[in-house]
This record gives sequence, structure tokens and C-alpha cells, in this order.
Amino acid sequence: MEQHSQQFKENAANALADAGGVAQRDILALFTPIMRDAAVAEFGPYEALRQHVKRVRQHSLDNLDYYLARFELEATNNGNQVHYADSADEMNSIVLDICQQHGARKVAKGKSMVTEETGLNDYLQRGGLQVMETDLGEYIVQQAGETPSHIVGPALHKTRDQIRELFLDKHDLGERELESISDLVGEARVVLRDHFLQAEVGIIGSNALIAENGYSMLVTNEGNGDLCANLPNVLIICTTLDRVLPRAEDATAIQRLLVRSATGQPHTCYTSFYSGPRRAEDADGPLETHIILLDNHRTDILASDYSDMLRCIRCGSCLNHCPIFAATGGHAYGWVYPGPMGSVLTPLLTSLEASAALPNACTSCGRCAEVCPSAIPLPDMLRDLRHEQSVEKITPASWRQGLRLHAWLACRPGLYQFLTGIGIAVMHRIGRKKGGFRSLPLAGGWTSKRDFPSPQGKTFMQQYRQRSRSNEQ
Amino acid sequence: MNAPESPRVSLFVTCLADLMRPSVAFASIRLLEQAGCVVDVPLQQTCCGQPGYNSGEYEATIPLAKKTIELFEHAEYVVAPSGSCAGMICHHYPKLLDGQWRERALALAEKTFELTSFLVDVVKLESAPAITTSLPTVTYHDSCAGLREMGVKEQPRKLLKNLCDVDVSEMQQSDVCCGFGGTFCAKMPDISEKMVDDKLRNASSTGATLLTGGDLGCLLNIAGRARRQGLDLEVRHVAELLSGDLYSPAIGEGE
Amino acid sequence: MSSESRARIMARVRSSCAGNDAATIERELAGLGVAPAAQAPHEDSCVTFMVNVLRNQGTLDVAADRSTAVKLIGNYLYQHYRSHRLVAGNDPRLAAMPWRDGGVLPRFGEIEEGEQIALSYARWGLAETGATVFFTGKRNPSRNNLLPEHHLVLVDADTLLPDLESLWREVNTAIANGSRPRGIHCIAGPSSTGDIEGQIVYGAHGPRAWHVILMGNVSPEQQEAARALHAGKTGPAPA
Repeated sequence: MEQHSQQFKENAANALADAGGVAQRDILALFTPIMRDAAVAEFGPYEALRQHVKRVRQHSLDNLDYYLARFELEATNNGNQVHYADSADEMNSIVLDICQQHGARKVAKGKSMVTEETGLNDYLQRGGLQVMETDLGEYIVQQAGETPSHIVGPALHKTRDQIRELFLDKHDLGERELESISDLVGEARVVLRDHFLQAEVGIIGSNALIAENGYSMLVTNEGNGDLCANLPNVLIICTTLDRVLPRAEDATAIQRLLVRSATGQPHTCYTSFYSGPRRAEDADGPLETHIILLDNHRTDILASDYSDMLRCIRCGSCLNHCPIFAATGGHAYGWVYPGPMGSVLTPLLTSLEASAALPNACTSCGRCAEVCPSAIPLPDMLRDLRHEQSVEKITPASWRQGLRLHAWLACRPGLYQFLTGIGIAVMHRIGRKKGGFRSLPLAGGWTSKRDFPSPQGKTFMQQYRQRSRSNEQ
Repeated sequence: MNAPESPRVSLFVTCLADLMRPSVAFASIRLLEQAGCVVDVPLQQTCCGQPGYNSGEYEATIPLAKKTIELFEHAEYVVAPSGSCAGMICHHYPKLLDGQWRERALALAEKTFELTSFLVDVVKLESAPAITTSLPTVTYHDSCAGLREMGVKEQPRKLLKNLCDVDVSEMQQSDVCCGFGGTFCAKMPDISEKMVDDKLRNASSTGATLLTGGDLGCLLNIAGRARRQGLDLEVRHVAELLSGDLYSPAIGEGE
Repeated sequence: MSSESRARIMARVRSSCAGNDAATIERELAGLGVAPAAQAPHEDSCVTFMVNVLRNQGTLDVAADRSTAVKLIGNYLYQHYRSHRLVAGNDPRLAAMPWRDGGVLPRFGEIEEGEQIALSYARWGLAETGATVFFTGKRNPSRNNLLPEHHLVLVDADTLLPDLESLWREVNTAIANGSRPRGIHCIAGPSSTGDIEGQIVYGAHGPRAWHVILMGNVSPEQQEAARALHAGKTGPAPA
């Protein structure tokens, strides 16, 4: 997918200028944390579960060579064809090859952020295929020619009115009622049902790959992923190699965390496990199944100080709890993954330079890390990325020099207290009557939106020294 | 007179209290003394190093962290009227440093506290000598680092109840960031503006005319925005309220 | 070439890994222990299952025997469709049901266009999530679970399992005995979506309604406990 992360600040300003969008995001930012908290409280021993899953995930990543080989063996024995893709392009071309081998024309796709990352839809369409997203949110976004704004709720940025207009425009169904949200869902159901029945190839993602038995776990509420996995003659699972877990119960332990964190439900309506193609004892199912394991820099992350990021289970909870995501919405981040997890992943999967604003789109408030079901230290990682930006001189020189000068001065208490004493005295003299400054040299960022409160008077250190001296006398 | 077993506290003033609002540090000293502590103020202190550290200037922050450790490591307790400065010392110095220095940072972290949590959890201050004035309706902003790094949530509320007889009028999303974030508010002013406006809206919805909190960074941001918007909201550090210091102008107010 | 990519990727993965032998890895894994399950609303798995079915926006009937189950199914069909017909998989247990007792006319096979009601016989019921669990196969074609408007599910009360871990013990035994299913479906509610403005709508792609018939020895006290728990507090709704 094309990246627009460099325009983060402009994107954010545009998003903030759209009052309707702001109101809609405010509501989501208020309610999604409440739902998550209620689900977590109802679970009971949530923290124990979180720590257990963290240990299991870490163990899987520490021994990924072993579990990956085991998964490949089991999945192959189950009749799957297992492919490895180094890059986004390689995954796309493997998928296109499979489609072409089967003379496919229609593809039904379940929700998959990995294929957003590789830009698979465009690639297949250029190859002459008709690709239909079947998750309702993804379908809406695809019809609108947009990208998902949220990794769990791709179309939550759109209102029912916008979706009604879109459907009236895109679906050639004549005069009809499309008043309620149910009407809209019902219309998409009818349109997509045909597509499910006609598609020759189904493409889905995977929430977990189970090494001990070669199964792939799929978690959805709509059941669209299951239709993609069962109706077409060919199934392609597009996923990444870090999804591998040792045992089936590890996958379901993650499911306990994932769904509560994502939507505040205790579980989704459909949790499915697929082992491979149709056999003699089956009534239906795909005749051929492929599993493509994408790397696309995951092994670089594994080798880096950011390997904790591979524990991410894509629940979207950090997005729902991030006040910056709430302010800007997902599109501002300019690539596939928004919010805190996106601000870490995007620089690692693309480049630090192209994503320069993202690690700075953070107040280190820590709300994301607090709710992350995988206990990923997201604010620490974002700070480490800012450190890398400074080392690589991506940070503007004025910022670097200013902050270094501040630290240098602060290491010299005599000089620091002398200079701050003078500066504060001047500011106090000018600002004491009004109580604050409407503009201030070197503080344009601050004073563009708020007054700079005037200092109270002499510095504490000056006053304290004076008092100590007079006490001694 | 203080008994020989009185806790001995070294005050980490914080650079914002030092420069912008000394009354917060004086209020802290009074509260600590009221709780029976002997307070000293190491004179060579400056800043904990958050501005550079949070912007990723790790190398420049390391010497400052070492200076601070050297200056405070002999204290019995270190107390700061700021959750984020206490959090910097407790959680980030150990991340920043290696080897022996890391050990020293961890030892310092063991005895470093945010003011209100020290008063409630360690020295158990339960009453004030005299309740000064009656306060207007008060709302409390939970600063992020205090809340999530130092576990400050109930302590300031408990103190406000016990010392000032104030029940905090809780705002919606009191635990959501006010948009300060150190250099963030200058790097991304539009987003910061939206966040601080949300905070002000939530605060005003409670009917409160006084907003308090435990971190001057947030309070300067909130007060500065309230002033810009022409809102009639008094903003003060919780230490000032607790010590009855309500007579000097509030943050951002003229004399 | 994919095989070249495989070699490159595997080499990179290996270079970041600890390089432990299989015995060490398996020992370490075993030492990690078992994940905690959700605390149950009731100590009795049967009550918990019924509560969770209701919380999942399912509807529930309880039948003491097969004849009652058929009657209840007949009532359901009549209420919703003024019809006697449904489609069911080629499950001998379904074929042996006393259909005439409820005036139900089943067709055995895969759901076809125009057919709106499917009946499936669950292999297990799962108390922790209130899910009905199926192996796909001739006895339970996957499309019968996914395509009807109304999905009716029979569950034997003596197949209820407390949690996901106990489900996997059963599935692993089945796999070890040579019957590895192509697909395992854990279905816990009608097909739903919250993708438009976060408002929940049922029947997104698959069933609009999911009706569970719990068959066997379920006491009125158990049923009452489940209804009371459900009335007192419904589970959180999806986003």
C-alpha cells in the first residue's frame, strides 16, 4: 500500500477540521474502552491470562525456527501447500499464480491486514481478477475506494448516510428503502452472497497457526471468513510467520484475550480451525488449500530490539485507547496500521524516514501499554524510535540541539540556576500582570494554541537559598 | 520537635516548580513537615531530564541522570511533587543506565515517591492542623505518568477529603491525557489542542470551577488553554490546595 | 522462487532463535502451565452453557428426549415459517430422530438455494463460550452451518464441556484416533456485524437466528438458574 505517513500532521489537521468525523471518533473513544473494561472485569483472572499468553508468545518467538518447521510439516501432511514469501510482491505474485493456474476470475476475500500491507487487491485486479472484500467494513471501504481506518472496524469512520449514498451509487438495484443500518447490512448480504457462491478462490487471513496440528485459526463475527474458506474450490491463507503458536490451546488462550480487547465481547460468533483441503469424508470445502507465510521484515524485527512487537495480536485496543488516534482517526497515519501499534510497526515495516512523524505522535501517556493484551511496551518502543531518529539526524537539528543544550546546562547547576534565575525574573516582570503570554520566542508551538503562564516570581532555588541564609543569620 | 525516628525526606523540587511555581515546592515542604518528616532540599538539583529523554536524546540525558542519582542516593526518601518526574527516576533511569549505574538507579528508585502517594502510603498523613478556607467545586485531572507509572489515583482524593473536606467532582475520562506530553504539545499543536479542549470540556461539565492535579506540566497546559479560551477555571497544583495555599494567583492568573 | 525464499527466511529466523533442541523446547513449553479460563457465571457447566447461549443472542429450548426435541423443532419451524421443512446433514443420529412426532419433514444433504432452515447436531457444547462445536464432514456440511437464515442446533447435555482446554483434549483424542476434521466450527451466536457505526445487526452473511435445543437431563432448577442469571446481567454487546 502506498504510504502517506509523512503528511501525518496535515492529515491530522484535515481530520480535525471535519466536525462530523471528530464527533464520531469521540463517541468511539468514549465507549470502546468501557466495553473492553467490562469484558476484562467479567473474565476474572485477566492479568494471569495476559502474563501466561505473553510467556507463550515469547516462547514461540524464541523458538520460532522449531515451531515454524513443525507447522510447515504438519500443514503439509494435512494436504496444504505451504509457501514462503520474502516480500509483499512475492506474496502477491504467489496468489496471482495460484488464481491463474485455476483460471479463476472471481476472488472472495476475508478480512486481512496482511493483504492490505501487500496491496494484494490492486495486484490481483491488475492481473484481471475481480476481487471482492466480504467483511462488511472492508467491503464498504473497498467500494468507496478507501483504505481501512481501523484494523478491527475498517469503516467506522463512515456514517450510515455516507454508506447509503455509496450503496445507492454502487449497487444497481433500483428504487428501494435504505433507511436503517439493518437495511444497509441486508443489501450487502444479498450482493455478497452471490459473490461467495460464484468465487473460485477464497482468501483469508489467520489469527493463529498451530504448530502441533497444522490448523489455522479464524475468528470472525460475520462468518464471512468461513464462507470464503468453505465455498470456493481454492483457499489461500495469507498470513505472516510470526503467527505460529505451539499448541491449539495456546491459540484459544489468545482468542480469550483478543476478542475481549478488540470489541469487548467474550468471544466472536465464529471461531474456526481449518486443517486443509476436502477429503473423501467431506461434503464440501476447498479442493486445494495454500498457506502463504509472509516475512516482509518480520525477521528483521525478530532480530532487533523491537521483537516484542511481534507479540501483537492485532486486537486494536491500543487504537481505541489512544487519545491521538481518537483525535486524528486512522487515515492520518498514512499507511496500513494506525495508532500506537502502527506508529511502531510502520517505521519497522517501511522506513524510519518515511514514517518520521509517527513515533512523535505520542504523549507517552501509557494508556496503550496498560491495555495491550500482549503487554507490549509501546511507549518505550516509540521513544526508542525517536532516539533512532535523533541518531540518524531525522529529527530537526534545532530540536536536537535545543534539547541537548538543555541537558548540558542542567548538568551544571551553578550556570543553570544563574541563567534560569535571570530568565524567570524577566518573564515574571513582563507577565505578572496578565498572568501569561500570548506569544513567546522559541515557544511558538506552545503559544499557537495556549497562553504560556507567567512564572510566579523568583525561582524556588533563589527563594530557598535566601530563606536558608536569613535563617542562618 | 521531630522525633529521632522522623523520616528524612530529600525534596526533588522539579524544574517546573522551581522555575514556574515555587509555591508548589514550599507547599510540599509544609505538607511533609506536617506529616512529621524532616525535609532537606539538595541545592545542586536542576531537572530530571525528561524533555531530552522523551524526545529520544538518551546520550545527553545519561550524565544528567547520573548527577541526579549522585545527589539523591544518600537520602532516606526522595519525594517529588510530580508523578512524571518521580516516574522518570523510578522507571526510566534504570532503563537508561547499565551496570553499576543501573544498580544505583534501582536503589534510588526504591526510595523515590510522588508526593501524594508518599503522604498517604508511607507516612500516612490523615489530618491538617486547621482547615483553611472552604473550597469551590473541585475536579481532578489524573496525570498519565503519576497514574500509570506511580499508581497515583486514590491518594490525592483521599488527602483532599481528609485535609480539605473536599469530595472531588469526577470528570469523564479523567485518566485520559490532557495533550501536554512534554515536547508533544509544541510538535503537534493541533492534536494537542483537541486533547486539552476535551479535557476542559470534561472538567467544565462537572460544574467545577477549580481543577487540580499532581503534575505542573499538565496544569500549565490546561491553564494556558483555559486562559486562551477565556474560561473561568482556576488551576492549581494539589499540593497548594492541601497546604491551604490559595491566596497567590492561580496558574496563568494575573496579579 | 518460493523455495529460495524459504531458505533465506528460515536462515534469518534461525539466527534470531535460541537454537534449543526439541526436548528442551518441549520441556520449557510444558513448564509454562495452563491458561486461566473465564470465570463461569455458575458452577454447573450446564447452567453456564445455557446462560452463555442466551448471552450470545441465541434462543434456547430444552428437551428431555428426542421426541420432545422434534416437537420443539416443529414448533419453531411453524412459528417462523409456517413450514415443516428443514435441511440436515447426513448424520445417522438425525436420520434416527422420530420426525413424525413433530410433523417435521427433513431433507438430508447440503443446503440449497431457497432453503432457509438448517439443523445440525453438535458434537459438543462448550460452557465457557456457549458455543456449539462441529466437525465439518458429510454429517455436517460446513455450508449448512453458514448459509441458512435460521440455524438450529441439537446438543446433547452429556456432551457439554466446561472450557476450551477440555475441548482440545477431546479434539486431540479424535485427531490421534485418525479422524482429523477438515474444519472445526465453534459457533456462538447468529452471524453479526457492528461495522456500521458500531451498531449490532444480526444476519450479516449467515444465520440471522441461532436456536439451540439442549437435549437430555436438564432439571427445571438448572433452567431457572440460567434464565435468572441471564435476566440479571446480559453479556457485553459487540462493538
